[in-house]
Amino acid sequence: MADAGGSGGDSLQARGPDSGRRQPFASTSRNGAVPEHQQRRLAGGQGRQRPPEAASDGEEEESEEEPGQGPGVRAEPDGNHTDRRMLRHQYRQLINRVQQNREDMLSSKSNSLTDALQEANKLFSGVSQAREAALDAQFLVLASNLGKEKANELHSEMTVFDSPAFAEDLLTFMGLNRLEGEENDSDDESIASGFLPNNAWHKLGAEAERYFRRSPSFHYMLGSFKADPPVPRQRIERQKRKAGTEEKRAMPAQLKKMEESHEETTEKEVERILGLLQTYFNDDPNIPISFFDFVIDPSSFARTVENIFHVSFIIRDGFARIKLDQDKLPVIEPSREEEGRENDQNAQVRNQAVISLSHQDWKDIVETFEITEPMIPPPGVSQENES
Amino acid sequence: MAQKRRTKGPGPSQGEDLAADEDFAPTPSASQVQRSLERLSPAQVDQKVSELVQYLLVKDQKKIPIKRADILKNVIKDYRSVYSEIIKRAGRTLQQVFGLQLVEIDPKHHIYILVSNLPRLEVENLKQDDCTAKLGLLTVILSFLFMKGNAAKESAVWEMLRRLRVDPGVRHEVFGDVKKLVTEEFVRQKYLEYNRIPHTDPPEFEFQWGARAAKETSKMQILRFVAKIQNKDPRAWSTQYTEAAAEEAAGGDLFQDISTPGDTGGASQGARRRTR
Repeated sequence: MADAGGSGGDSLQARGPDSGRRQPFASTSRNGAVPEHQQRRLAGGQGRQRPPEAASDGEEEESEEEPGQGPGVRAEPDGNHTDRRMLRHQYRQLINRVQQNREDMLSSKSNSLTDALQEANKLFSGVSQAREAALDAQFLVLASNLGKEKANELHSEMTVFDSPAFAEDLLTFMGLNRLEGEENDSDDESIASGFLPNNAWHKLGAEAERYFRRSPSFHYMLGSFKADPPVPRQRIERQKRKAGTEEKRAMPAQLKKMEESHEETTEKEVERILGLLQTYFNDDPNIPISFFDFVIDPSSFARTVENIFHVSFIIRDGFARIKLDQDKLPVIEPSREEEGRENDQNAQVRNQAVISLSHQDWKDIVETFEITEPMIPPPGVSQENES
Repeated sequence: MAQKRRTKGPGPSQGEDLAADEDFAPTPSASQVQRSLERLSPAQVDQKVSELVQYLLVKDQKKIPIKRADILKNVIKDYRSVYSEIIKRAGRTLQQVFGLQLVEIDPKHHIYILVSNLPRLEVENLKQDDCTAKLGLLTVILSFLFMKGNAAKESAVWEMLRRLRVDPGVRHEVFGDVKKLVTEEFVRQKYLEYNRIPHTDPPEFEFQWGARAAKETSKMQILRFVAKIQNKDPRAWSTQYTEAAAEEAAGGDLFQDISTPGDTGGASQGARRRTR
């Protein structure tokens, strides 16, 4: 046990400010050291309360000690809650820092990745529970991925590939017409100036074809027969396409019809209904009409909804009012013409209400109010009442 | 003919592969296939072979790799027991009649592509269409990837393409939605691989060569392309040249006998030598 711990201790010290390649070794030995560490802790039995701020100092001390000699251990194996929270916080800070400074970590000129690893190693000696160990593992994965990327970047620098020059040469090949005498703006030096012909990419592609072994796309020279396609797959494709185009053609026809009557219908309807309302009210001036009686069409739910829609315009423009009568049922009555439309709009208190009417509600109302005939005849019916 | 899904054996075990829910049982042995063959009339088998050839040719139009599951569902159907024989014969027909090679680019999931075995014609007036332009773009990307060590971050690739006036945020005259073309179409065709780099937030991706690219061209070929564009000798990039040469030597690469496109004499000899 002491030997293994010893090797762990050695490798901790051996890690210097050189390349990231050492890191995998360090980590495995660190992992190997875990059970050793724990065992030392539990076996030590010495209580040593370390204040959280000095934790890192304490860790450093411990890592340089010869293992086997009385190491600093926590009194209770569970560890202090505050310590642990602090530890987790430090880990998260470290992970965050590494992620934020990714570019710096990857740079071959900086040792920050190594430093971060050393820091994590110090933090690790304070770990005794799975939760913190999980954070440590998370950091380890992050660091090793960065290490791998860093190593990759080392490799590709060996024979440098000058991609800007490649791009320039490509443009030349594609026939870029660099306008003579035009200065290249230094701000925009990544984009060459000049006129690129339309077939630039085709020209490049034609050259590229020579380096590929692409199978030519197979197409029947004279097309295929509709009735007897050679392969099931093709048939399915064509059917789908046909259905698509037909649908497209159908749609504009439908839309056209709607559009013609769209605008006028609403206004016309509103006027018609207003006329109806006024006529009804003129017959019985003092009795407001039950809202439901007025709008409900017992034979069509859709028509009922349309009626409510049109009536709402009338209300909005102030030509009519909806109130609740003594039975708390809504009633509608036209507003007086003397009041004038503009006045109504400005002076009258406007309230908004949302009426929701489900199909079931509609049926119930028809039954309850015993509505047999719509007060608003559908637009197709002859409109003698129109004012 | 519903077959129980079996996860053991060489049949495909990935969910995405079982588009049809008919799985292929563990591959029948050669003798089993022989016996099944004897039960069927030669005309029937030939019919299936022809159908498969046509199916493969049509499916190849869009350059999307062909899955064995689809072949089984759409063409083979009841002749599963002799599948291996049918595909073998279809491959032979494609080679002898069309000069095309049926290549399994994914032995685990059984996905096929067609590759040309014929030497390139050095003729000027070959048809140029959208595919040609797209191939140009693809070749630029493949070159960049190879010369930069076989993989590159997506951001680096776009940076390079912007110099060629191809920008993922701008609709391109020729390519349209370039980002979609590069990250979806090329990937689906298996020309490129588009993989997420772990632990990046926001997620970053990197590109690599796809399986189809590896079969349709080679590192040496792409190096020659770069050399041609830049008017240099391929050996000017020593690391890349070494790597390309190693691939040629190792793979028994099918491009081996074609030294440069243009060397039709040697190439046709090579082609003849390659066919079985």
